[in-house]
Amino acid sequence: MLRLTLAQMRRSIGRLAAAGIAIMIGAAFVAATLLSGEVLTRTTYDAAASQYGDADLVITQATLADSDLAALAAVDGVQAVQPLDTGGADLTGPGGHAWVTVAGRADDPRLDAVSATDGSLPAADDEIALPERVADQLGVGIGDQVQSTVQSWAADATQPTDHLSTLRVVGLVDAPSAFLSDGGVAVVTKSVAHDWLALSWGGQDVTYWSASVTLAPGTSTADATTRISQLLDGTGTLVRTRDEQAAANAAELSGSTWALTGVVLGFAAVALLVASLVIANTFQVLVAQRTRTLALLRCVGAERRQLQRGVLIEATLLGLATSAAGVLLGIGLVQATLTVLGDTTDVPLPSTITMTPAVVLVPLLVGTLVTVLASLAPARAATRVAPLAALRPADTSVHQRSGRVRAWLAGVLVVVGAGGLALGMAVATAMSMPLGLVVGMLGGTLSFVGVMVGAVFWVPGLLARLGRLGGRSAAARLAAANAVRNPRRVATTSGALFIGVTLVAMMSTGAASVTRTFTSELNSHYPVDVVLESVAMDSDGNPALPSDLVDEVSAVDGVAASAVVQQAVGLTVTGPDGDQTSVDVYAGDATALAGVLNDADQAAALGDGTILLGESDAASLGVGVGDRVPVTGPDGVLDLEVTATDSAMAMVTTSTLAGLDHGAPASDLWLALAPGADPTSAVTDIQDITGAETDVVVQVIGLAVERAFFQRVVDTLLAVVVGLLGVAVVIAMVGVTNTLSLSVLERRRESATLRAIGMTRAQLRSSLAIEGLLVALVGTLVGALLGIVYGWIGAQILLSEVTSVALAVPWRDLGLVLLVAVAAGLLASVLPARSATRTPPVEALASE
Amino acid sequence: MTHITQTPPTSAIRARGLTKVYGSGEAAVHALRGVDVDVATGAFTAIMGPSGSGKSTLLHLLAGLDGATAGGVWLGETELTALGDTALTRLRRDRVGFVFQQFNLLPMFTAEQNITLPLEIAGRPLDRAWFDTLVSTLGLGDRLDHRPSELSGGQQQRVAIARALVTRPDVVFADEPTGNLDSRAGAQVLSFLRTSVRELGRTIVMVTHDPSAAAYADRVLLLADGLIAGDIADPTPESVLAGLDALRALDEVH
Repeated sequence: MLRLTLAQMRRSIGRLAAAGIAIMIGAAFVAATLLSGEVLTRTTYDAAASQYGDADLVITQATLADSDLAALAAVDGVQAVQPLDTGGADLTGPGGHAWVTVAGRADDPRLDAVSATDGSLPAADDEIALPERVADQLGVGIGDQVQSTVQSWAADATQPTDHLSTLRVVGLVDAPSAFLSDGGVAVVTKSVAHDWLALSWGGQDVTYWSASVTLAPGTSTADATTRISQLLDGTGTLVRTRDEQAAANAAELSGSTWALTGVVLGFAAVALLVASLVIANTFQVLVAQRTRTLALLRCVGAERRQLQRGVLIEATLLGLATSAAGVLLGIGLVQATLTVLGDTTDVPLPSTITMTPAVVLVPLLVGTLVTVLASLAPARAATRVAPLAALRPADTSVHQRSGRVRAWLAGVLVVVGAGGLALGMAVATAMSMPLGLVVGMLGGTLSFVGVMVGAVFWVPGLLARLGRLGGRSAAARLAAANAVRNPRRVATTSGALFIGVTLVAMMSTGAASVTRTFTSELNSHYPVDVVLESVAMDSDGNPALPSDLVDEVSAVDGVAASAVVQQAVGLTVTGPDGDQTSVDVYAGDATALAGVLNDADQAAALGDGTILLGESDAASLGVGVGDRVPVTGPDGVLDLEVTATDSAMAMVTTSTLAGLDHGAPASDLWLALAPGADPTSAVTDIQDITGAETDVVVQVIGLAVERAFFQRVVDTLLAVVVGLLGVAVVIAMVGVTNTLSLSVLERRRESATLRAIGMTRAQLRSSLAIEGLLVALVGTLVGALLGIVYGWIGAQILLSEVTSVALAVPWRDLGLVLLVAVAAGLLASVLPARSATRTPPVEALASE
Repeated sequence: MTHITQTPPTSAIRARGLTKVYGSGEAAVHALRGVDVDVATGAFTAIMGPSGSGKSTLLHLLAGLDGATAGGVWLGETELTALGDTALTRLRRDRVGFVFQQFNLLPMFTAEQNITLPLEIAGRPLDRAWFDTLVSTLGLGDRLDHRPSELSGGQQQRVAIARALVTRPDVVFADEPTGNLDSRAGAQVLSFLRTSVRELGRTIVMVTHDPSAAAYADRVLLLADGLIAGDIADPTPESVLAGLDALRALDEVH
């Protein structure tokens, strides 16, 4: 039997290989995901380890005073001890100023976490080594001088004291991955680092949380660990080797790494599900094509079980071979990605992948299992072939009636699922969002499965209806008739596509709705694009904007409008019930403010004699739009009309404020960016200007950057998710091609007959193109429609706590999906059409 | 022998020096070795011969389904052997009809849709009166809404005949039209074919190996070893059998 199975496999190798592509992609997906998880974990570990230099032991969760460090250094076998806690300083150079993390030099060079890439590490107390990026920012090179400012707070002081010193740059250092988020670490001598840290401790004795230790050559790590632990006995301190500590640090971070891997594996599961549909279809057709052979085998005495086993063996071999190919593909992809990233980014990634048994075994097993599971139903069909079938003329017309049970199941699932979705929305609004989400997801899954189960009912009907739109030509009618002749097969094919498209459409609709909802939400949260807030004091002790700053900033590329804003602190607003609340009120020229406010309604609400209130203030006072409230300032009381209660801050016009607090300092500058301007570069330019101001400190709040960042996060996430789901769509397209070519094989005689009675090659080709198009369109259209509904409901549930949800349809994304489906449907018909048109019409006359 | 451009007006189809060789070198099979045939318009012609005699190949070549190695075929004034694939396809569509042994109906279409399919492919309007004539002649009136799987073999073949005749082709080629039918249904189909010739004025060329089927024809051409070996006018089953016996005797002498 095995020999027979292998011979049959050889005969259908082309068909099997085409279906195998689906499994291969799925297995590659799993392998790549697992490998990426390994790479991430490894990167995390390396990052965690890099801060310890070449330490032998790492002490953490300690309270080490200077005396403890000395005692540690004296422990038998300990060569050097280096505290790991870092301080910080504000550095000023000709190019501006920057805040850096500062570490001291270690007694043992092995404990230095950074090394000099140029020049040397500091040896004297007036020397410093800077990370390259910081040196660039300050505009200094080796040999130049920088000024450092360290602030200390005396116990009873209201103002910090600045401690200034001048240092010479003696070297540039690399930025190991542990310090990447801080922008690298600057290095000074051990004593300077200690002094600066002591300053920031406000004169108290410094204690360190952690330290790294090197051991003298020949010292046993275990013995030294014991001795150190004894010394630090009873304080809950941990003494670990460098590797143990790095692994522990990495473990803390890698919890999230594996969560991420899990989510991506979820997408891989979707891809594999789609692949299993493709496999199931292929085997069904193969079994149908082999009906005669199978019947013949039954005639000569093969048992049902043997036939079933034959199909399963075939599936196992196919699964193993294609999964193995998939693993290789996945490994290749990740390695290629690492190589490319290693050359183009400064993210410290390992240059080669780390193989683990799981990376190979899991995709291999899962891929094979999915293939075998998918072939179970066709294997059972093989056993149902009667020996008599060998004697009957081959009849390829299959007209199955699908069971009533299936119809009921599909109907019940859809109805219950829809109920779940509705309930989920209700629960999210009335009770709690997470609970509603769970109920909604359950309902969504049920209804989706219902639609899938019922595909055999709605796909053919929809195909017939769509086919009628395709025109009355013979090619179109033939395509429509051919598309629906095997309802179950076409339902599975369309269903495979439908899964991917539904999920893509759901994600992009959800994201579009979330974005739109937040755009209106953001307008009130981020009323202006950029805020400059002066923290500098003028001679009266009030914060003030340097006069030339306004002109300079307004000239920055991308800044469209500006408004100087006064800030009156602590005005009293009285509510109708006598409640009083203290409010900081911002004031500006009405026209200028209208130019910078993002919310046009707020700008319109601003006028002399009116006040805009924040949501919480308005709520605590119990006032609404149209109410009049008395506002009390140092210069008088005014009765103002409340014209908005959803402002991010209380706002009045300058002339209104003059009656309340005419001396309020003009400390803020509000800016509007031109539409389409890149907020990040504009804010960076503004920061360069304010950073160059050496005498005042101006804080730049780039609300537009935050907003753009939010938008980018949503866009990036969506792109990643759509990309991952795209794999499923690609697999489904493989399925469309495969089903179409299998059908064409089955219809060889028909194709030949059509050619014999006068159908041209072009007509036959266009008929198959239309058929491919119809199958692709049905899955895509229904998937898109269902995806929009799911996306809306999902957004509604997720945002139920926030605000009223603005629903959006991502027309561009959906159009793109449709375009891809149309193109893929047409493309899927190319190969089958080639083989169909090559069929010589003589074959119609062949007797077998 | 007459010059090849002088086509007698009564010839629906004509072949001269028709040769077909499959393969090459030692493996070459000479299916036809220079056959000359004239099929009269409005006649029912049967081609007979033992298996391997080249009768199917002759049908393929006469119908423009396959190319000849040498020689020429004319359908009326048109030389088939000079046409490309698209022109041949058009010719088959507009001027030739086919009846197959396996019926070859499209399973997803009804009988009526199957019958009108050639017109649809050609984009030509249906001649309702002609369609009704065919349907009533072939006795398909109450079967038009049925799909092939709901029809008996004889009914399916009658649908196939109607499909072959619906375009009013110059010639209908039938390849073993009774090969898959029991004798009663076979006899019915054959008398329909003869009716089409006698009452509807069609021209039919049929390949068969059944002497009683051949006896329905006006003329039987006997083929052996790729050559015309006999020509029986107004055949009876007995005369056809006698002709075949003569062929066999000839074979045994060889």
